[in-house]
This record gives sequence, structure tokens and C-alpha cells, in this order.
Amino acid sequence: MGVSYNDFVIRFANVNGSGSASANGMFAKALFRMGIPVATRNIFPSNIQGLPTWYEVRVNERGYLGRRDGVDIMVAMNAETLVEDVASIKPGGYLLYDNSKPLAKILRRDDIIEIGMPISTMLLPEFVDAKQRSLFKNITYLGALSALLNIDFEVITGMVATQYKGKDALIAPNIHALELGRKYAYEYMVAPLPIQVKRSDKVGHRIMVDGNTAAGLGCVYGGATVCAWYPITPSTSVAEAFELHANRLRIESGTEERKFAIIQAEDELAAIGVVIGAAWNGARSFTATSGPGLSLMSEFLGLAYFAEIPAVLWDIQRAGPSTGMPTRTQQSDVMAAAYASHGDTKHPLLFPATAKECFDFAALALDLADRLQTPIIVLSDLELGMNDNLSEPFEWDDNRKYDRGKVLNAQDLDNTEVFGRYLDVDGDGIGYRTYPGTHPEKGAFFTRGTSRDEFAAYTESPEAYEHNMQRLLRKWHTASTLVPAAEISQQDNSQQGNKVGILYFGTTALPMPEALDLLVEEGIQLDTCRLRSFPFGEEVRTFMESHELVFVVEQNRDGQMRKLLINEGEYNPQDLISITYYAGLSISAEFIKGEVLEYYQANKKLPRLTQVQS
Amino acid sequence: MTFVAKPKAHHPRLPLNEIGLTRRDYEGSVSTLCAGCGHDSVSAAIVQACAELSIPPHRFAKVSGIGCSSKTPSYFLNKSHGFNSVHGRMPSVITGANLANRDLHCIGVSGDGDSASIGMGQFAHIVRRRINMLYIVDNNGTYGLTKGQFSATSDKGSTSKKGAPNLYEPIDLASMALQIGASFVARSFSGDKSQLVPLLKAALHHKGMAFIDVVSPCVAFNNHDGSTKSYEYIRKYGQNVVNADFIAEHEEITADYQPGTVEDINMPDGTILRMYKLDENYDPHDRVGALNYVQRRKEQGEIVTGLLYVDPDAIDCHDILRTVAQPLNEMGELELCPGNSALASINESYR
Amino acid sequence: MQPTDIQNPSYFHKVVDCQWACPAHTPVPEYIRLIAQERYSEAYMLNWDSNVFPGILGRTCDRPCEPACRRVRTEETPVAICRLKRVAADNKGDISRFMPRVPQQKNGKRIALLGAGPASLAVARDLLPLGYEVHVYDKDAKGGGMMRSQIPAFRLPVGVLDEEVDRILDMGVVTHFGEEITSMKAMLDQEYDAYFIGTGAPRGRELELPGREQVADQIHIGIDWLASVAFEHIDKIEGKVIVMGGGNTAMDCCRTSLRLGAESVTVVVRSAFEVMKASEWEKEDAMREGIPIINNRPPKEFVHENGKLKGVLFGCVKPVEEDGRLKYVPTGEPDVFIEADHILMAIGQDNHCPWIERDLGLQFDKWDCPVLDDVTLQSTHPKVFFGGDSAFGPENIIQASAHAHQAAISIHLLCQHKDLKKDRPPQGVNLLSTKMGMHEWAYDSEHDPSVRNIVPLVEQKAALANVKVEVELGFDTLLGAQEAQRCLNCDVQTVFSEKLCIECDACVDICPMDCITFVGNAEEPKLRLKLTAPAETTDQDLYVSTDLLTGRVMVKDEDVCLHCGLCAERCPTNAWDMQRSVVHIPQLGSFAE
Repeated sequence: MGVSYNDFVIRFANVNGSGSASANGMFAKALFRMGIPVATRNIFPSNIQGLPTWYEVRVNERGYLGRRDGVDIMVAMNAETLVEDVASIKPGGYLLYDNSKPLAKILRRDDIIEIGMPISTMLLPEFVDAKQRSLFKNITYLGALSALLNIDFEVITGMVATQYKGKDALIAPNIHALELGRKYAYEYMVAPLPIQVKRSDKVGHRIMVDGNTAAGLGCVYGGATVCAWYPITPSTSVAEAFELHANRLRIESGTEERKFAIIQAEDELAAIGVVIGAAWNGARSFTATSGPGLSLMSEFLGLAYFAEIPAVLWDIQRAGPSTGMPTRTQQSDVMAAAYASHGDTKHPLLFPATAKECFDFAALALDLADRLQTPIIVLSDLELGMNDNLSEPFEWDDNRKYDRGKVLNAQDLDNTEVFGRYLDVDGDGIGYRTYPGTHPEKGAFFTRGTSRDEFAAYTESPEAYEHNMQRLLRKWHTASTLVPAAEISQQDNSQQGNKVGILYFGTTALPMPEALDLLVEEGIQLDTCRLRSFPFGEEVRTFMESHELVFVVEQNRDGQMRKLLINEGEYNPQDLISITYYAGLSISAEFIKGEVLEYYQANKKLPRLTQVQS
Repeated sequence: MTFVAKPKAHHPRLPLNEIGLTRRDYEGSVSTLCAGCGHDSVSAAIVQACAELSIPPHRFAKVSGIGCSSKTPSYFLNKSHGFNSVHGRMPSVITGANLANRDLHCIGVSGDGDSASIGMGQFAHIVRRRINMLYIVDNNGTYGLTKGQFSATSDKGSTSKKGAPNLYEPIDLASMALQIGASFVARSFSGDKSQLVPLLKAALHHKGMAFIDVVSPCVAFNNHDGSTKSYEYIRKYGQNVVNADFIAEHEEITADYQPGTVEDINMPDGTILRMYKLDENYDPHDRVGALNYVQRRKEQGEIVTGLLYVDPDAIDCHDILRTVAQPLNEMGELELCPGNSALASINESYR
Repeated sequence: MQPTDIQNPSYFHKVVDCQWACPAHTPVPEYIRLIAQERYSEAYMLNWDSNVFPGILGRTCDRPCEPACRRVRTEETPVAICRLKRVAADNKGDISRFMPRVPQQKNGKRIALLGAGPASLAVARDLLPLGYEVHVYDKDAKGGGMMRSQIPAFRLPVGVLDEEVDRILDMGVVTHFGEEITSMKAMLDQEYDAYFIGTGAPRGRELELPGREQVADQIHIGIDWLASVAFEHIDKIEGKVIVMGGGNTAMDCCRTSLRLGAESVTVVVRSAFEVMKASEWEKEDAMREGIPIINNRPPKEFVHENGKLKGVLFGCVKPVEEDGRLKYVPTGEPDVFIEADHILMAIGQDNHCPWIERDLGLQFDKWDCPVLDDVTLQSTHPKVFFGGDSAFGPENIIQASAHAHQAAISIHLLCQHKDLKKDRPPQGVNLLSTKMGMHEWAYDSEHDPSVRNIVPLVEQKAALANVKVEVELGFDTLLGAQEAQRCLNCDVQTVFSEKLCIECDACVDICPMDCITFVGNAEEPKLRLKLTAPAETTDQDLYVSTDLLTGRVMVKDEDVCLHCGLCAERCPTNAWDMQRSVVHIPQLGSFAE
């Protein structure tokens, strides 16, 4: 049997709260440091301790980062899930398990290779403390894996040294546990396995980071000074990352005082309220939440839309409806975010797909919010937000200036003859605003959620109301020219009449290169459009109109993005084919391929490369 | 309401304050509330207090929720920005405003519906957060704009205009504020500016959360016999314990008072808070005692007014957060952005 | 303080400052509202009723109402009341239907009115509708008295004068014009039932200085000279003219001279500019026409050469205040010589009744003024009454009208054998609510902050070319309407009902002028100090309520109330109401009654 390198999926089945995360993380990080592209997925329960949790690492030399079905190596450390864990192994795959107790008969499979290791038994004499024993189990299997997969042991030990820097007492036992496992593997197992890793250069200069951390850091760089939030999975780490980074990067030298304020609010309503209050008073501010929080914030979002106050909201989507599956990923807040609140309300949305984009969009969203004087909602998701993944490194142009939008200072006001907060002076639908306390005589206005005229005076005049609503539409059009354009790739096959495209956004982009490659193998070549924002720009219209058929791939049941496209673009619904995955894991390349193929088989007239060529 | 604009003309000998302005320079637009609404008197008291303090009239941030009370920020301090937000959420919005610019004077106006029902949570939490602000509740025990339903501060047994009794226990916001940790708690009455104006001045100078529950009768729906929030009732059963007065830094301290009944407190900003104790046994520095007193009196149907509690050395949210002295909203790239060089080590930490 | 008795007719009358200041108590705010409503005829009649000569007064009145106007206290410039009166006169329609009917059947009483000036004419107007037979005597051939002889046509066109004089004469006056009365005894012998003497103050004062006699031909008494111009005996004046004096006659003399061809005209006044007797606007008019006014120059000598006037030598003084009075002391500067070919002397006028024999029981005081009862205007001769300038010395037309009304009442009572004092009809006041609905009042309550409108003038060259060209064009109806809006409607009163007040402070909070205070009562001087805004204008009353529920009283300082009605609009219980106060000034033959 030949040896394969750098191409497998390994899954760790653990019990939540058993300390497996650090060992599993070290595993992924070790491969990453060997230059091998890895994608990690933490599949965890809405629970703190005791329920099953999985950690999955896809190792792929070609750089496919999407989730792949089927497990090549199962590290089964949770008795509770053993049945399904064994079942999930691909034929020919491996099961690494603690054989301190024998594997039940019914779990035995002929088509997989069992690698038993009496971890618990081994550790009994080594560690007296039961809790330590449980913890070092994880390190021990990591040691074994280093042997089985041929991982550079120095990389792992190096990581232990870094991780426990300052807690030196912990380094030796960790190394000891690692060596126990490694030694056992070499002595009692066929190590390395035919599935192996080897050093690579495919990672390049990329970093490995989760999207929420990137978002938090991006908010620091983008100049956010006020963050208000309410804990909710999977968004919490955005605020935490902001605080973490700000605590290092935003401290005034000398006084050690903080150039930011972070408030853990009493609920999401308060969180967005604080953000709106701060932005109204001229501070860049943001909050992070997830679906239930978005629902709660809707009233305030409507206020900010109508009263035209900047706000940045990160929605790290999870599986709904209602509480849904709080620790599973989905892209099911598209509609709720786009039209959050009652009345004719709509909000610009940004759809980051990578950690780097989270960083970039964090700063961009703050600019856009100020420029457009409206809430900007960044739709990330659990998949992107909470999993370490490869990303381009963060960059900042030191010449970049924050776009604070149309704000008049005292001097501007002195030179302004007529100030009307909602006067469309420039024809772009955006009025000039002032911060409270700017000028003793001019520029003060009253902000309200009720209808008002161009001078911010309350009115119920039908004309004034309509006039205002129309201006908001003009502003909406302006927004479509300012938000990041979709990424479009057209195959050079114009003469072949390829008129089928595929459209996707956010984390659906992760499995897409692989899915497209798989489809080419089937003779199907698709033009692609990765949406990065809403409202949709002209480039999206051109893409939609130049393709007879567009697959819209997304991770929700109802094809919300497809509906949003139809709703806003007035496209023919028959031309938009929905591909939806919404089970809570992230969508896979195989799934996309399967859905596209199925459609092609049902609609045989669609062009294929093979047909065209023949 | 009236659609006749209030004439700009003012009394030719209206006193000027220290920055050369009259009280009229602190006014807002003409109220659209019912004629005789207590809330308008509260607005007038705010106008007077701010003028007497000689704070530039554009250096306030006025925030409110929804309801009759929340309309009032339009009716004072026209030169300041105002924000009429959503029902019950004034506390969060003003929290943000205060975080953004700690130099502005924050005035939050709310009502009993706004603060004691839909906004109960936000009320409690802004008190906990110790936002440096003046929090006023125009408390009339009724829902005015929806025409006379009982509110959560309406006393059990008090009657609606049609005579139906309220069946539920009332929420006493002043007691709540005392219990949750407000560092300045007072209660007053819209019809008694001699008490209210000095309280407002002291509250505006107090650092931290200053809460004033102002009984402010609703002439349209809650000023009848059977109401415990009517002009007549509060005049009859209001019991003033401590009158406050505010003495600016440079004002001369006069000593025309009975020793033992007056206490001067030196405030951190150099001003003096003078307290006239009308009930000698009352100690406005004793939070628990104050709570007890207010509740005991309430059992007897009395409404304790005046400065109920003050902690002159209180800290505010910015102290807790250790934020810089410069207002956050004044900072730009220079102060806020760490720059590309800092990213090198950050990127490295993710390798 | 004691609670205010608002039923006292004087209380609210005093609040209507203009009406209170007007000798004839013209209901100014009411007629201004009528002008605003374009009801010019009614506005005219309201004036005619009380001051008898709206068209004339609309041009020439001394306007005691204007300095009294509340606007002077609230924002400096008064409403242009006088010019609004002219708007009513200029734009009125046919008013004959409003005229009082004069009975054909007379009541048998004959009344003699001596002099055909404003006082006598006004008495005639009051008495005729009651059936009196009225005889008017005057030395001139036409009625009008000083209005005709002393007021130049460029201020008062003859047509306007004739119209209002004839309106009264046409009511059935028996005229004896062109007949100079030389003996009061002879008049009394005619056994009229009563006599009214309205012969004015016809004697211009003289100035006896060195040279006076030598140049008598070139020195003219101002009022006589003006009369000669009015009656077209004089139509030019040549060379350099000095007008001596600082009153309105001086102003009329200098401006007339300019129009009659004087080479130059200079007004020289003994006193300081500020204390000149001429009305502000008359001084302004003269100066606008380029006439220099030289002050603090007492004349010393008429300088002449062989009987021909060369000019006048003036001393130089300066005013010094001493014991609250101005005294003039020499400055030490050399005397000033001003060239002149003619001198117009306008330094005052005196009563002059040489035709009244002093043995008729009619007493005169040391200033040669008749001894009169100042209410009834009855002289020491029971049948003889005085009015106008002949009563208490030179005043003005509006004062003459006021005298006339009182004299007419006295004459009527006399003829009815009633007591002239005890039976005099009392003043009264009616209060009428102006509330029409929510935010709706029967008057325009909104305060208009506009500044006083400027009256348009004839182009100056044209004005100076002809003594008969009226200088002021008057407000047109548009300007009139604008100016009318400036009126504060001081006759619409803030009336307070203690019983209804719940002491909610709404009125205190809304009052733009800080007029209202709820406070513990005290004596007036102390109370004035306790109010929200200082109540320093002590001649304006405080309106004090009875004790309220809290033991306080409502105190309203009437001083600068704009009568905007916001207190009443904001009052939840109607404890405040805006009520129009109609003051009843007793008057005979009033069409309004």
C-alpha cells in the first residue's frame, strides 16, 4: 500500500471540558508549522462540561479548506459517542482508541484499522491526580499521533514550551506525556502509518487564526473606541478579542489609561443602544452578537436606520430558528439582517469569508457606517468566527485615514449658511451631521425615530415623509457604490457559450475551489461570483444578467440570499437555482458538487465541457 | 399644547448668568404636552438649573426614551443635541453617549412607563454602571400618550380617572436606585421648583449616577381625587427631609442657618453641596437608613422628598473603566491606530 | 398686598398704556385691530368718537400714546399709533351711515362756542346730537382755529382739515365766522344757556433785546407769520432766516421758510437739544430737510445797520445739572454772530383774552389763566366753560378734544339742572372673554417681533418746492397692516381666577416675560423684590390674587406683559383667561354707546 502525504481528515472525539482543546489545537498547529495547509473545525455542544465534542482537522496539500465528509483517522476518546464515531470512519480509515477496556463487539468493523492504545492504564502509574490523568490523556494521544503520522516532534515540543511559558512546572509533565504516547506508538504500533504528513511550503506566509479574533483586532485598527456586547455564542470572542488587543494596543503611555471603553451590557438591546448612543456622540462603536441578539436589536436598528446613526454590528451566525443549535454554523440571518426592524428598513451587509477579510471588514464597516450614517451589519458565522483557519496575514496601510463621513466641526458650521441635518446637499442622499456640543449656536439638532423634515423638526407631512424616504433610497444607491464589490471569475470560454454561474458568500467560499475542481472533473465549469456585500453592486447585476442560470449556494434552508437577490434585483426566480445546506456543519465540496450534478442530470440541455468538446 | 411660538422677547432686566446668558437661552421649543403637565415644569426647572450653573447651553447631551416624559428634551436646551430614542432604552443610549464624550453633561429624561416597566432592566443596569449623568423620571403614575392606563409606579388602590382601583403593587424607583447603588438619589415634585431646582443643580454637579424621581402630575389622566400622584395629594402627603442647595466654587458661603441642621459637603470639583435637614434624624449619607425611611413612610401613605442619599466621593463609569481623560470621540488614527508595524508581531503570534 | 380689584375701571385701563396716556382715552388697540381687519371706516369712527379729528390727528398729534406704548419697555420702539390713525382716515369709506343723527327738533337750549378751533368744534359735535342749538363764533372766515392757522399745509393738507371741520359744521352749527368778539359782556347779554370758550393761546411771545424796535419789520412772530402763510397773505421770504425757539412752532416756521424761498434757514435755541419742546419727529423732519439746529445759544442783541437787520448776536452757554434741574452757564467762548435778513420768533404762546371784561365774575389767576374746575372745566362764572389752550395754557389738539368732552358733559348737566360733579356719569369697565376655542383667541395673540415701520416720504425736492405738498405719504394699507401687527393688544387682559388655579406652574413656565410669580404675599415694595424678574417699574401695577391653596398668592407684574395669552393657553383649568377690557369713558353723543 502506497503512502499518502498531507491529505486526510482527522477527527478527535472528546468530552467537553476534558481539556482536549489545547492538545487538539497543538496538533493542528504543528502541522501548520510544518507548512501544511490545515483547516480546523470545532464541533462542540451547547454545554460546558460532559457533552460530546469533536475537533476535526482537514489536512490538504492542495489547500482545500472546506469541510470534507468522512473521517480518515478517528481519535475516539468519548465512550458516549463511540458508535457514531466508529461509523463515521471511511473504509480503510483508522480508529485510534483507548483500549484500556476492550472495544465492544458491535463496534467492530472489517473495513477499518483499529489502533488500540491503553492510555488510561498507561497513565495510572504516571499521574496520581485523577484530573491530571484525564488532561494528559490528550497529550499522550498527541504523542502517539506524532509517531503515527510522522509529525516533527520538535515542532510539538517547541509548542509546549511556548504554550506553558511562565508556567515552567507544566512543561516537563507535558513533554513526558507526549513521549509516553510517542514511545508507545513506536513500540507497539506500525508507525508511521501509510497516511502521513511531511513538511510543505503550501502555507506560505499565511497565518492561522479565527475570524472573531481578526474582527476584534480589526475593530482596534479601525478606530472603534466603544464596544458594548452581551455574551452569546458564537460571537463572544469578538468582544473578547477586541478587549484583549486593545488592552495591549490602546493604552496611553504614562497614565496607563485606556483609549477605549468596553461594556458588557445587560442584554443585546442595551448593547446596541450603547453603540448607537456612542456613535451619535461621535465615537466609533460596535457590538457583536448572533441571531437571537439580532432579533432583539431589531427595534434599535430601525431607529439607527431612520435616525441615520452609524453603528457596526457583527452577527456571528449560528443555526436558528430561535435558540436553534447555538454551537452549529449557518448562514440563516441574511434576511433578518438585511431587513432588520419594522417598516421599510434595510441595512448594508458585509460577508467576510476569511479571517483577513474579518480584519479588513471590521475597519471598513466602521468607515462605511460613518460615511453612510447607518448601521452596517457584518455577517460572519460560527464556522469562520470560532475556527482557526488559514488566512492571509493582516496588513494596514499607514497612510490610511479613517473616513468619518460628513461631519461638520465648529469652523465648518461657522462657514455654513444653512444647516439642515437631513438636507441632501450633495445629492448622494447623505446629510451632514454634527457631534453634540460642537458649536454654541449652530448645528444642534434633535435625533428621533419619528418622522422629521430636513431640518430635523418633527413632521407628519406626507410630502416631507415621502421626501425623506426617497432620500434614504438615494443613500441606499450610494451605499451600493461604496460597499466591497463581489469577486467574479469568468472562465475564458465565451465562444463556448458557458452561461452557468455559481454564486456564494461568506464561509460557503471555503469548499468552493474544491467543489469547482470536482465539477470540472465532471465536465462542468462554472463562472463564479462571491458576494461580499449588500446592497449588490452593478457587477452583480452584470453577472446575473450575463448568465442564463446561476446556482446560489448558501447555508440555510430557505435560500435567503437567493430570495434577497430576487427581491432586490427582480431577477427571474427560475434562473436562480438554490443549493442549500443547513444541518449545522459547514457545507462541503462534495455536497455542492452533488447538488450541481443532480441539477445537470435533471436538465440535460445544460452545457458540459465534454459535450462541447465532442 | 399650543401652536403659538413662545415670543423670543424676554424681560429687559432678566438676570444674566456668569457667561452672559439669560435663562431664555437655555429654553427649548414650545411643549406639545397638555397644558398644565407637570413635565413642563420639570423642563422649566432644568432650564433654570442649567442657566444658574452657567454651563454653556450647547454642552449637554439630552437623551430620552418614548412617552410624554421623553418628549420633553425638545423643550429645554435647544442649543444642545437631543436624542429621543426607543421605549425604555434611554439608559443604554446615554451610556454610549457618555462613553463617547465624558466632557458633555448627560441628562436622561424618562417616565414611569419608560423606566419602571419596559425599561426596568436598563434602569437598574445604568445605575449599576454608575454613568455620570442626571437621570430624571417624570413620574405621573400613568400612561399618558395611550390615554390613562396605570403604570408600574401607580400606587395600589389609587384609582383611574373613571374610578377603577389599581390592583398591583407599585415600584418605587427611588428605593430601587438606593438599593442598586446610585450615589445621588432624590425625589421631588414638579410643582415645587424651590426644591427641585437646587436638587437639579446639585445632581448636575454630582459625579456619577444622580437619580431624581420627580412626581409630576398628569392633568389629563391622573389629577383627580383618588390619585396619589395629583397636585393636591403630593402637596398634602409629601414630606421633605433634606433640601439641597448648590454653591458654586467662588460663591460666598453665608451662614444664616441653625447649626446642626445644615451640612456643607465639599465636592471634588470645588463646589459645595449644602444640605438643610428638615428632619434632624434623617441621615442622607446612610443608604440603608434612607431606604428604610422611605419605605416606612410609604407604608403610612407619605411621599418622602428631598435629597435622600448622596455619596460625594462617588466614582463614575469612566473611573471604573480607567478611560483616558480626553473624550474618545475626539481621537483619530494617530491616537487609535497601532499601525502596520504592530501587525508584524501580531501576525507572528498566529503562526 | 391687598388683592387687586380688577373691577375698578382704572385698573385695566392703566394697563392699556396708550389709551391711558391719551387725553381723550382713544381705545387704541381696538382701532388698530380694526385696521388689521381692514375695517378702516370702523377704525376711523372709533377714533372720531373719542378724539374727533382722526385725519388731522393722524398727521399732527403730539402722540402722548407713543412714548407710553408698552413696546418701548419691551423692545424700544413704540407702535406707530399716530400713523395708523392716518391709515384709518386715509382708507375709510363712506362713513355717513355711522354719523350720529342730529334731531330736527331742538331741545330749546342755545349754546355759544367762542372760537372755532378743535375744542369748540368737539363740544359742538358732542352737543348737537342731543338737540342743542349750537352757535360758533370766530374771527376767521373759516373754522379750524390753530389747526388751520398754525399747522402748515405740508403737514396737514387743507382738504383733510376742511373735511373734518365741515363734518361737524354740517351737523347744524350756526356759524358766526369773521366776527371778532370784543366783549364777553356782550356775549353774556345774548343769554345763551351756556358758553364755551375755546379761543386758544393766540399770543406769540416777544423777546425784548437791544435792536428789537429798530428792526421790527424784519422780526416776525412765528404763529402770526404761519397764519399769514396759511391765509396766503405771505407767499415768500427772502434772504437768510433765523428761527428762534425750540418748539413745534419753530419747526413749522423753519420748514415753511425753506419752502417760501429763504436763502438759508437756521434754528437757534437757547437750551440744549435734548430738552427742546419740539417733538422728536418734528426735529428729525427739520434736520432731514437740511436745517441746522444750533443749541445752547441765548440771543443777546439784534444787530442792525441803520435799521436794517444784519443778524443776531448769541452768547455761548452749556447746560449744567444742579439739584436735578438744568442750568445754563456761560462757556466763556466769544459770542457768536449769525447773519439774518429775517427773524421768526417762536419762543412760546400765551392765553390772551383781553375781550373778557374782568368784572363779570370770571376770575383769572396770576398767569392770566381762567380759574377753572379741572374736572368740569367750569369757570367761576357758572355758565362759562373753558377748554383747549385757553383753559390751562398751550397744549395740543388731543387735549382740546378731551377738554371738550368734559365740558360738553358739564354743559349738558348744567342745562338739565343737575350737579356737575355728583351727577357726572361714572367710568366703567367690561371684561369680555376672547377665548374662541383651543388655541384660538378673538385677537392675534402671537407676538410680532418686527421693528417699527418707517413712513414713506415725498421726494425731498418736490416737497421743498411747494408749501402745500404733504411731506409724509403715510403708510399704505400693507405697511399699515404690518404695523398693526406690532400692537400688543394691551386691552386684552390676563384675568386670573383663584378658585380654578391648581398651582401647576404652567403659566410661570411659559411666560416669555417672567411676569408671573407664585409667592408668599408681602407689602408691595418687598413683594416687588420677590418676583422672578425684577419689578422695578413702580408706576406699573402688580396684579395680586387672594390666597391660594398653598398659602401663596399669584403676583403678575403688568409692566412688560406681551398679552400673548400663553399663560391662558397653557393653563389646564382656565384659571387664566384673556379678556378684553372695554373701558367706558363717559361722553355725550357717543356713537359707540
